[in-house]
Amino acid sequence: MMRLEEHLRKIVGEPWVISGKERKLYAYDGFTAVEGDPELVVLPGNEEEAVKVIRLLLERGVKFIVRGSGTSLSGATVPVGGEVIVGLSRLNRVYSLEGYEMEVGPGIANVMVTKNAPPHLFYAPDPSSYVVSSIGGNISHDSGGVHVVKYGTTFNSVISLRVVLSNGEVEDLSYGPFLSALPIFVGSEGTLGIILRVRLRLYPRPKTRRSLFAVFPDVRSAGEAVVGIFKRGVIPSALEMMDRNSIKVVEMSRYRAGIPDVGALLLIELDGDEEEVEEQEEIVNGVLTDTGGARLSVADEGKVWNARKGAFPAMGVISPAYLTLDCNVPRRALPEVLEEVSRIAKRRGVFIANVFHAGDGNLHPLIPYDPSSPESLFRAIQASNEIVKEALRVGGVPSGEHGIGIEKVKFMGLYHGEAEMRVMRRIKDSFDPRGLMNPCKLLGGCEPKTEVTRWLWEWD
Amino acid sequence: MGVGLEDSCVHCGFCLEACPTYVVTRSEVHSPRGRITAVKLDVDSQGFDTCMFCRRCELACPSGVEYARIITKVRRATPEKILMNSLLERPRLAWRVLKAGKSLNSGLIQRVRLSLRDPQEPLEYREESPEVILFPGCLTSLAYRRTVENALKFLKAKGLRVSVLNGCCGLAHRSEGQVERAQELVRRLTNVKGGTLVSLSSNCTAHMRESGVQVLDFSEYVLGLLGQERVELSLTVHDPCHANMIGLGKATREVLRKLGVNLVEMEEPSFECGAGGGYFLFHPQIAENVMELKAEKIRRSGTNLVVSTNPSCSLVLSFKGFQVVHLADLLAQTVTKSLE
Repeated sequence: MMRLEEHLRKIVGEPWVISGKERKLYAYDGFTAVEGDPELVVLPGNEEEAVKVIRLLLERGVKFIVRGSGTSLSGATVPVGGEVIVGLSRLNRVYSLEGYEMEVGPGIANVMVTKNAPPHLFYAPDPSSYVVSSIGGNISHDSGGVHVVKYGTTFNSVISLRVVLSNGEVEDLSYGPFLSALPIFVGSEGTLGIILRVRLRLYPRPKTRRSLFAVFPDVRSAGEAVVGIFKRGVIPSALEMMDRNSIKVVEMSRYRAGIPDVGALLLIELDGDEEEVEEQEEIVNGVLTDTGGARLSVADEGKVWNARKGAFPAMGVISPAYLTLDCNVPRRALPEVLEEVSRIAKRRGVFIANVFHAGDGNLHPLIPYDPSSPESLFRAIQASNEIVKEALRVGGVPSGEHGIGIEKVKFMGLYHGEAEMRVMRRIKDSFDPRGLMNPCKLLGGCEPKTEVTRWLWEWD
Repeated sequence: MGVGLEDSCVHCGFCLEACPTYVVTRSEVHSPRGRITAVKLDVDSQGFDTCMFCRRCELACPSGVEYARIITKVRRATPEKILMNSLLERPRLAWRVLKAGKSLNSGLIQRVRLSLRDPQEPLEYREESPEVILFPGCLTSLAYRRTVENALKFLKAKGLRVSVLNGCCGLAHRSEGQVERAQELVRRLTNVKGGTLVSLSSNCTAHMRESGVQVLDFSEYVLGLLGQERVELSLTVHDPCHANMIGLGKATREVLRKLGVNLVEMEEPSFECGAGGGYFLFHPQIAENVMELKAEKIRRSGTNLVVSTNPSCSLVLSFKGFQVVHLADLLAQTVTKSLE
């Protein structure tokens, strides 16, 4: 029998199989706390090649991981068990555009969907990594973004999928009544099948979009403003919060936008018809006054939004590595949870910056650590544990949009309980009876081989 | 192999789609993030050599990683590249070698001649106590003598005393990892005295300015000279990569605006042209794919006339069938008109 590497090269062509030491360039994604070691990396150039590659791997019983742009923040594409990486970044074509629907390959970057759409339409889910993260990865993580609060997560924008199942069959899935096959693939992190092609929903561009910025003395009052805005019936198209620490970091980075040193900043976007936006603005102004906020006028609105979108990687200016959580909490609990987060930071001796989707209660505490010091990573993980537990205590969920990956495996059991976990494992087993697709992720089930994975996967 | 700067990369990947070689290969190996990871993990990757050194990744990087300093430390210039770069230091010698090279059987010279079909003798021009020291840049002096003449014509028409200084700024050396030689070359320009140093190749301007040389780009210098000149043309602007890093595109557009040109912007004007200095000689396939992508962006602008202020960009854009002009070429037209 031909060696696997040789066979793969025959399918995709010589340059598109990466072996030797260069394969290590796929050792991690946007989550760098755990370094994997892929056996091989293969980059098929079109659907036919991708199907052949997947069938070959299935035939030979080889474990593999499907990867897009490699920006997962939960480590969903880290090859912890020496898997083969199937990179679909080259499957980035726009196949068709019809009405409000666009059909694309999974490797296309999120930003390219709107770029390829007619000017009156746009693709709504926009994770902060939208300039690079792939649509396939967005679907596999059910990614969110600043516009989730009004337009929903990726889930709400997927119309149909073409997937390869573990028997090698290619299937087109779309929504239907009753037990629909499509939704289960959204957020499945590549554990159930391989996404080959996607039909996405586009939304009409609103006639007016207006940004308001407001500063607050502390996160509690900003949290109260968030609750107030919804209570008075306004659904903003984006509602983001940055706390003092995250403002400080961003102002030290390339994204500096001249944001003053305040307890918290709210970034609010309202959209709709002119009249509608006027009315919403008036209501929001009232809420801001009632909660102790003050409107901040800025010269360049785009700069402030970019500061928000670049806030994660901007952490690089103070630390080369960080953990970022994404638990969701009910909006009403925001003030309470944020205060608890800062208490946890003090107790654990870590720096925590909060920059997040306040409108849908999706927290993003960023916890920098020193990658050369295991002790520093350990403290960051301990702080994460406490934050997620606090989020669950007030009625939240462990992950809103970054996925479970290898980072949050142990929180699944904590949130779902044993019976639910059993059901999910049975579903996984029926899609992938031999456990070849992205093992160890989402539902766990692997023995930790390193100290760091033990910290991540086991309770102490 | 670590160079001590790679640790500030948080692996976010924001640089990927900004990188021309990633965009056409979509492989981590040929991406800035992959190259930095290779440095971190001590992997001798082919990606080090496939970098076009356009530095667009630095503009895209939220963490401020000094990519150029990392990549130039790990690149090793091949003897072929060292030879080519040392020829560029002496444009007159390069011209003679290329002329003689018609009959030579060197693979490299044949490839150079494919893109540089008609190497010209660098223009020598000297005046006593010049007000302007015009620095064409090595490739401009060899490939675009006419542009140097045009620049001279315009400056003379403005009543200025000019001397032409032929040579190389060292950018080519730096991009191939010959950092020390690059520093030596650029240091010579630091000591140029007796007149304003004006650079005709905008990527050279950027390199010189970053290295501490007091220099004005031709576009910046002529801004102060323009009067009633008008050029009635529709065209688009390509922003050479290094020039773009220091925002020279602004001055170029300001000159065009004053001339009353109808400017039709192309998509991503600073997207790499595909030349990558001499890159296209060594990685023809990747370069061709980047050139084609660039050409597509230009074609969509609906105009065939492109302003490029840097010679290697101009060469590949002409190669792709566009009509390419330098600001100096446009300005010279106004001089002819006033004489008529």
